[in-house]
Amino acid sequence: MRTKNVVHLVLILGLLSVLNLTYAQDTPEVSEEGKEVYEESCAHCHGIEGRGDGSAAENLLPRPRDFTRGLYKIRSTESGQLPTDQDLFDIITIGMPGSSMPGWETSLSANDRWEVVAYIKTFYDGFKESETPPRQISLEGKIPYSEDSVEIGKVLYTQFACFECHGNLGRGDGTSAPTLQDEWGFKSWPANLTQSWNYRGGNGIDDIYKRFIGGIAGSAMPMFEDPAFGLTIEQSKRYNELDSKVEMTESEEEEYNQLDEKMGNAYEILDLMADGDATEEQKQIYDTAMKAFNVKSWHLANYVKSLSPEKQPEPAIGKNVLRSQYTINELPEIADAAWETLESSYFPLVGQIIVEPRQFNPTIDSVNVKSFYNDTEVVFLFTWDDRTHNTEVEEDEDTGTTFEDAIAIQFPVKVPKGPTAEKPYFLWGGRKAVYLWQWKASDADKVTELTAKGINNAEAQEVQGDIQAKSEYTDGQYKLWVKRALKTDDKKDLQLESGVFVPIAFSAWDGANGDVDTKRVISSWYSFVLEPVPSSRRFIYPPLVALLSFGLLVGLRQFVRQRNT
Amino acid sequence: MKTKMLTCLILLFAFGFGLFVFADSHEKEEEMNKLVFPKAYKSTTVKDGGKISGVVKFEGEVPEKKKLEITKDPKVCGVTDKFDESLVVGDGMALKNTIVYLMDISQGKDFDKDAKVEIDQKDCRFDPHVQIIPVGTVLTMLNNDKATHNVHIFGTKKNNTEINIQQTKNRKKMRLTRFKSKNAEGPVEVKCDIHGWMKAWVAYVPHPYFAVTNEKGEFTLEDVPAGTYKLGYWHEACGTNNKEPVTVTVTAGGEVKQDFTLKLKK
Ligand code: HEC
Ligand code: HEC
Repeated sequence: MRTKNVVHLVLILGLLSVLNLTYAQDTPEVSEEGKEVYEESCAHCHGIEGRGDGSAAENLLPRPRDFTRGLYKIRSTESGQLPTDQDLFDIITIGMPGSSMPGWETSLSANDRWEVVAYIKTFYDGFKESETPPRQISLEGKIPYSEDSVEIGKVLYTQFACFECHGNLGRGDGTSAPTLQDEWGFKSWPANLTQSWNYRGGNGIDDIYKRFIGGIAGSAMPMFEDPAFGLTIEQSKRYNELDSKVEMTESEEEEYNQLDEKMGNAYEILDLMADGDATEEQKQIYDTAMKAFNVKSWHLANYVKSLSPEKQPEPAIGKNVLRSQYTINELPEIADAAWETLESSYFPLVGQIIVEPRQFNPTIDSVNVKSFYNDTEVVFLFTWDDRTHNTEVEEDEDTGTTFEDAIAIQFPVKVPKGPTAEKPYFLWGGRKAVYLWQWKASDADKVTELTAKGINNAEAQEVQGDIQAKSEYTDGQYKLWVKRALKTDDKKDLQLESGVFVPIAFSAWDGANGDVDTKRVISSWYSFVLEPVPSSRRFIYPPLVALLSFGLLVGLRQFVRQRNT
Repeated sequence: MKTKMLTCLILLFAFGFGLFVFADSHEKEEEMNKLVFPKAYKSTTVKDGGKISGVVKFEGEVPEKKKLEITKDPKVCGVTDKFDESLVVGDGMALKNTIVYLMDISQGKDFDKDAKVEIDQKDCRFDPHVQIIPVGTVLTMLNNDKATHNVHIFGTKKNNTEINIQQTKNRKKMRLTRFKSKNAEGPVEVKCDIHGWMKAWVAYVPHPYFAVTNEKGEFTLEDVPAGTYKLGYWHEACGTNNKEPVTVTVTAGGEVKQDFTLKLKK
């Protein structure tokens, strides 16, 4: 009886194993090498089975890609098409800036990278099943970059409706931005088009063109066809103009309707072409319209390109260190044109991952700073991009809990003597205390002075000095203006002196990204200096001028006297 | 010695079995929320077919209607109040937007070639909320709004037809010609990312025996060849009966009534 049972069991298990075997045989033969590379270098993020669920995945946003769905963002191919092997090889080589996907150029040989390309393709059957190679996006008709082209592209940015997600000035602050999700239901932010160093797929004009022609699969970013198909650039412009009018005259209305009809007609032909039902005449209309679309698209790509500096700015060290400029005039207010005369210093920020709770997925790239001072006061203008304006804690079913936006600027209490002298711990001090200016979006025209001896050990100073602050939020950007006396009576405050390098560091909170308390973006210590006025200018000229005018006065009196006698 | 080898063998098999189950559990879970299709389907002319009809009702406490927050384009999208449509319960607990269908039919009528396969975008809402698409048929998107939408139909494992295409306010009609589905699958989600509240579902199906319940919870499947079939349902919030489908027997020219009562998915 018992042996019979065992035999049954063996039989059943055997059968299942056979099933199991056929299951395994479904996947094509893969190189052991690719598998090995994958399991050693990629699996802890992308998961052993390529589902994007490796052990490190949970904390990351965007999530490591789930390879079982065949969705790839950075393709040279049309929407709905798989990437080419070269696309995969390139992205593995370069990595995806602005995400945790590293580049492997230096740590894996080219051969290993090709092997792993072959291996990740086995996670999605579509690669095996597709008989024809994926259709690539043609780069024909490229229009060279020029000011004129950028100007035209700007109009098209509106007509293509990129602003819905990317915002009017491209800072990723469009009105649709807060609710965007990726294909897996995770929060996804539209790219800040003024910070192209964070693009996943490169910031060349061709890259930009491919991204909106082909779409970014798996994200909210769609592919685009001509939003005014059949119209020339001039006609599209005119159509937009008329469309935005509150009231049209009769002739305008007629013009509008004509353009509308022309477009409707062209769209119909577009569908007919796809079904292969178009007449010769229709084909010609189609060809002309497609040419116009091609031209529009390149202008648009040029415009998007123009929104960003060519490269990520150099951080504020060495020759780029923040130098506060001396002025004998009144210090400028927040909106004064005087600010335009200064270059800003760039302070990159990173997620705080030392103390719980951590921020692995920062959304604030950096703070840009400018400063002036005079004989008694110093003023700073801090500028940083944040896609959303959050002034309070909010609970939302779809977007989760959001917090209030904030920034804190950190200094030591006492300036260390010399560049090698020990500074306080960069995370809000420790044994040595730090002095902070904290600003919160809910109280937009105020900064609070804090003293801190650790990231969780900060207190508002009992005596709040006379610090003036003003802030603005427009088009996805905060501007914070802070003015303070160079010297104060408070021992807990930093005292400023021209020509002395003073350590400075930042913490910033994007409430919509869940930033609160220690979950934030930070910088390490940088420094700034009140740029000494060349002594000739500051100390010789004013007395000289005084002396001269005195001399002149005396001379004048003498002259007057002489004439009178 | 022999027994030892046997145990070894058993252990080995058991291990293999474990791996097998492990690898498959993810997919199984997903499958439970999807439609079930026959292995193959052949269309023929159906003479003297029968009819299956019924009413789908909801059981349980009906959650309060959730009004959607219109965060964009209020002039266009705000003209009508919009409500979450994941569970629409009408008079007498009638459950709208349930797909009722035959799971295992292998032969029957052809699709109605003239049927419109369309989703309208009106007042920033998709209509209908659930649309059936014959495999290989092109879906047409209408835009009757003076607003820009993007039509985002989620990808499926079998089709790789993630569709995400902008439809600006100038484009009143857009046929998704470049995205023909290859295999039966679904339902999959449809979204407009620009107006995050806009949601709908499509299912790519291999045969015409699919119905979506109306406000009264009613459905009808017509011209069903005489025979015994598994009758399935799918509802966004209530799930499927994939585990225990109902068996119905259709006689030539006859009519079968089959009602369903659905509860919220756990
Ligand atoms: C530290 C985690 C991490 C590691 C390690 C990692 N990746 Fe990634 N990978 C990611 C993330 C996160 C993304 C998604 C980024 C996004 O969607 O913007 C990604 C995306 C990708 C993509 C998709 C590219 C596209 O166009 O959409 C490929 C391919 C890829 N990784 C391959 C690899 C390979 C091969 C390795 C190992 C050699 C690897 N990754 C290692 C985190 C990682
Ligand atoms: C529905 C919202 C939406 C619209 C409309 C939209 N985008 Fe995007 N865009 C996104 C999102 C989301 C991302 C980030 C994708 C990701 O997850 O990597 C993005 C990323 C980008 C990127 C960065 C690509 C990279 O390599 O990282 C560029 C460039 C871009 N968009 C250009 C455009 C242009 C040009 C338009 C108009 C023609 C446009 N977008 C319209 C949502 C949108």
